[in-house]
Amino acid sequence: MFNKKIISFIIASVLLAAHAKSRQQEPATVIELSAMPGLKFNVSRFTVKPGAQVKVLYTNTDDMSHNLLITKPGARLAVVNQALKLDENGPAMNYIPKSTQVLWSIPVLSPNQTKTLTFTAPKQEGVYSYVCTYPGHGFTMYGAMYVSADGKMPDLKTDPNIPPSAKNDVAADKAGAMAMDHSGHQMNTPEPIALHPYDPVAPYLYRSFMDDASPAAIAVCLPQDLAYCWDAGTCRLRYAWAGGFVDNTVLWKGHSDAVSKILGTIFYRDNTVYPLRIGDANAIPIAKYKGYRLVNKYPEFHYTLNGADVYELITPKADGNGLVRTFKISGTDKPMWFVTNPGSGSEVYEASAGKWDNGRVQLSAKEATEFSITLTSYSLVYDAKRKKKP
Amino acid sequence: MKFAIAIKTCCLILGASILARAQTTTVDNGSYRVETIALPKGLTGETGGVTFMPDGRLVACFIRGEVMTYEPKSKQWKIFATGLHEPLGIMAVSNSEVIVMQRPELTRIKDTDGDGVADLYENLADGFGLSRNYHEFAYGPVKDKEGNLYISLNTASPGGKVAAEIRGKYNPLGRDMKPGVYEMYSVVPYRGWVMKVTPDGKLVPFASGFRSPNGLGFNQYGDLFVNDNQSDWVETSAMYHVREGRFYGHPGSLVWKKDWNRGTPYQLPIPALDSLRTKAAILFPQGIMANSPSQPICDTTGGKFGPFAGQMLLGEMNRDRIVRVMLEKVGGEYQGACIPFLDGHGLRKGNNRLTFAPDGSLWIGQIAFGWSGDLGIQHIVFNGETPMDVQNMNLTRTGFDLTFTQPLDAKLAVDPANYKFRHYYYKYRRKDVNEGADKSEQMDLQEVPVKSIKLSSDRKKVSVVLPALKAGYVYELKLGNITNAKGLPVANKLICYTLNKLK
Repeated sequence: MFNKKIISFIIASVLLAAHAKSRQQEPATVIELSAMPGLKFNVSRFTVKPGAQVKVLYTNTDDMSHNLLITKPGARLAVVNQALKLDENGPAMNYIPKSTQVLWSIPVLSPNQTKTLTFTAPKQEGVYSYVCTYPGHGFTMYGAMYVSADGKMPDLKTDPNIPPSAKNDVAADKAGAMAMDHSGHQMNTPEPIALHPYDPVAPYLYRSFMDDASPAAIAVCLPQDLAYCWDAGTCRLRYAWAGGFVDNTVLWKGHSDAVSKILGTIFYRDNTVYPLRIGDANAIPIAKYKGYRLVNKYPEFHYTLNGADVYELITPKADGNGLVRTFKISGTDKPMWFVTNPGSGSEVYEASAGKWDNGRVQLSAKEATEFSITLTSYSLVYDAKRKKKP
Repeated sequence: MKFAIAIKTCCLILGASILARAQTTTVDNGSYRVETIALPKGLTGETGGVTFMPDGRLVACFIRGEVMTYEPKSKQWKIFATGLHEPLGIMAVSNSEVIVMQRPELTRIKDTDGDGVADLYENLADGFGLSRNYHEFAYGPVKDKEGNLYISLNTASPGGKVAAEIRGKYNPLGRDMKPGVYEMYSVVPYRGWVMKVTPDGKLVPFASGFRSPNGLGFNQYGDLFVNDNQSDWVETSAMYHVREGRFYGHPGSLVWKKDWNRGTPYQLPIPALDSLRTKAAILFPQGIMANSPSQPICDTTGGKFGPFAGQMLLGEMNRDRIVRVMLEKVGGEYQGACIPFLDGHGLRKGNNRLTFAPDGSLWIGQIAFGWSGDLGIQHIVFNGETPMDVQNMNLTRTGFDLTFTQPLDAKLAVDPANYKFRHYYYKYRRKDVNEGADKSEQMDLQEVPVKSIKLSSDRKKVSVVLPALKAGYVYELKLGNITNAKGLPVANKLICYTLNKLK
């Protein structure tokens, strides 16, 4: 018995000593923090234990200048405003105000520069902000250091201590798998966010940047779940798609290259050199964009071809399987041609006037004053049939 | 997760009145109060332009393509137009017609059938290039007395790309790919230019050398001023007096100058570029006065907005500030001083567009668009109490005359401790390798002692004598405890005078 007791005492002592030793040598919590383009940090929040050794490796990966300050809980905005009030002294002080609310700081870093900040985390649990106070940056460029023994942080989406833009950025959340699991369990579908102060109802349009078009593109949403891209830079229909319109999320955020992302499937592309000819079936006319008028909310594009006025209105085909393009051409006495895609087996065309010859419709100037081309897409016909099957 | 913006059809309220629900908030600083205008539901208030129609309605355009009118009395918002591409400027022609600068084009937008909603969108000018780079913003228009319109075209950012399909001729000389050097570029026509649109619709290159010319405006004499944003080649933000054929310093745009045959302008020796350059009328010291100045506007209210009629005001994007500019002509050229007009007091940041309402209040459209800003519209109302402020700062042969809006406490006014001058200059230079885009260096930064101070008999004008003045320097003045006779301190204490020419 006695021996047993001694042995257990010895074991306990050894364990305690080992534990104390491990505490002493507990490696510092290392945080690799980067200033990113778009006035943000790569890490929106992290946790450290009270009294822990913390090492922040701070790198400026942006092309702008950034400093770094860690503030007392709740003091971020006050510190940002103190930095602004430095006025003429700001540049020399690296925009770091002399303030008891600033716990630690790194001066302004140039791009690609790294500096290390080592400190002992406060014993007081709480949410300590880190922020860049270069003028203007601190209102959006900040994050949260949670000093807490249990390492718990609130749900990312509702965390009031991180920028609104970070609330959906799981990758920037150093809460680890736990928080990700937590958000994964959230089954509530998000509230639909209004895109506009009006209800976007087809037909309507966005002038925008789009793939496979000049930078002066126009995305038009049509009834029948159809849409098309008309190019004001080249005065022509570029392509059409079905099954959705566009996603402008990235475009509307700004500060990066972006396009209106097409939602749906492209069923038609104009692959001709140019679809209209005036006077000479083989000469490409010079096009000039003039604008559009909304006719029953559909845009009727106006452009000139070799000086002749062209008005083009695109509507969905009544059965939803294609497009009807109505042209009104005036100011010329020359014949016109409408040219279809060479050797295309994916769509079929009908013309309201004129004579077909080898994939082209020839129209007299009189016929061209108003005619329509109806395009039917085989893939849309096929999809429609498939949908009808029980 | 990202919210996919899939657009569905439901009931149409286009053109219907939308009554804003939120309450107006007001903060007063004694002479001016800042009021926040409630926006309609569903509107993302990234404001690209604000102006007033002849009938007194505000008309504003927003990044997601809306043009909306607002009736200040009834607080009713109405849709006027939709679907525009990043509109960043608006001008009212009539109660049913506006001209909007959108990304690809200057567009006339008109309600021709009288239903209150625009139906005609006419291309007024699109004869400039687009590379699809996100930074190729387009600003304006403003109209001169002859009916010409002026717009300005931003250069492209090295943070973005040139798309495979562009509009306009590609010229690789408009960019210098020096590794590690941050430099904006102009590889499609007229990027970095101010353009003129004549009344008969011709688009004419007007002046070059701009980087991010976010804001054009005329002073009281009809002279055109453009603000440019600090970064590469623009050591600190500046206001330029823009004249035809002049070059203002950012090199890329020079490749679009008629008959340009000197290769990549970025590689010309700095003195050669400097000799082509017209200097800024006003420098806004970086990190001190303004980092992203926006649209300048002349106070044409004739006193309805307070004592600064005839001077110019402009927005600052990075903080809660409107800046005031006091210009004078020295040696035939404009130069002068800038001073905060209003800091804080409920004013937000992102101050992008300014316009005066018929009642003389100043309306401000705010924007962030991925930078540090705020969204929405505020207005500043003068409440009739003359502010205690610097009315004017003028260069003399020996120093400066400071005129105040009110008679001063004589004892404080002549105390040299209340006038802390520094001077410094900004070098015209290209960025170094790996240098921050917003790094800005004050060269030869020195304190300037005051030699003597004299107060005028009406106690409103202080004449300060300094040691020999140096041309090419910013003279920065920080006022101390200057008060009016009743002890009210001067509202804005930091003034920066751009001294290009001596008297």
